[in-house]
Amino acid sequence: MDKRLRNALKGLTSPDAESRRRAMEPFVRATFNIFIRHLYRYLGNEVECEDVLEDVYADIWENPDHLRDIANDAHLLRTVYLYYMRKRLREVYRRMNRNLALSQADLENLVAPEMGLHDLTEQAELKQLLHRMLGKLKARERKAIEMWMQGMSNRAIAIQLKTTVGAVKMLEFRTILKLRRMMKDYSDEED
Amino acid sequence: MANLNREIQELLADYGVALRDGCLPAFLKSLTREEARAIRESDDFWAATEMVRLMNSAGFGDKVVAPDVGLFISRVDAAIVSRQKRASASTRSPSRNRVNL
Repeated sequence: MDKRLRNALKGLTSPDAESRRRAMEPFVRATFNIFIRHLYRYLGNEVECEDVLEDVYADIWENPDHLRDIANDAHLLRTVYLYYMRKRLREVYRRMNRNLALSQADLENLVAPEMGLHDLTEQAELKQLLHRMLGKLKARERKAIEMWMQGMSNRAIAIQLKTTVGAVKMLEFRTILKLRRMMKDYSDEED
Repeated sequence: MANLNREIQELLADYGVALRDGCLPAFLKSLTREEARAIRESDDFWAATEMVRLMNSAGFGDKVVAPDVGLFISRVDAAIVSRQKRASASTRSPSRNRVNL
């Protein structure tokens, strides 16, 4: 772990509120990019990510107990997600819940799930892994996923593949499940 | 008009697009009771959402435009100051409050 981040963590877990406040600046500088990219997985919206992250940092200042004995960067991200980000993600959607058909539990599982497969894998490594898995798919499956990841709409993908939107959605669904099985097998082999 | 009877693969596709486009609330609001039930009962849906989040991160995570961190730190500091004030206000003794009144 970076020395500056380690020192900031030390200051953040101080019992003195002012020391914690001073330690916040180097902590934010060292973690902001990692945290905002992680939150983006769940929100897909930068403005919301910033708002949630502001509360996350203030929560850390107020109650930093979970950040004692952090061993490395992955441990830090996991702890911050489980104890601070999830709480805030749930609050973002709690107000909406009165008007939703989803149960509270399903809503929470959708917007702030448990950490899953490869959630702690770094961005570059994740891209590499996904690229490798995409290479193992059939040409049509790979094309559909690659076009989706380029930001194309399902209608545009359907035109490219000369099929219907419904068929594209089914193809994506099956391929995504196939990719997940491949990722899981890969993780099991790694372990 | 919204399709009221989306199949599970359509729901996943719509979830993926909503996440990719940053409009998850619109997707959540669009769900009918039947669709919510279908989601709850589908293990495949939940497994696929996990993968969609990873794909979203791998495909678009790098495009996140990081704001001015200095400005963001000021926002965090203001939030901390506000919480400090709130905490000190709530710990003020009742007798002192009466004097102030």
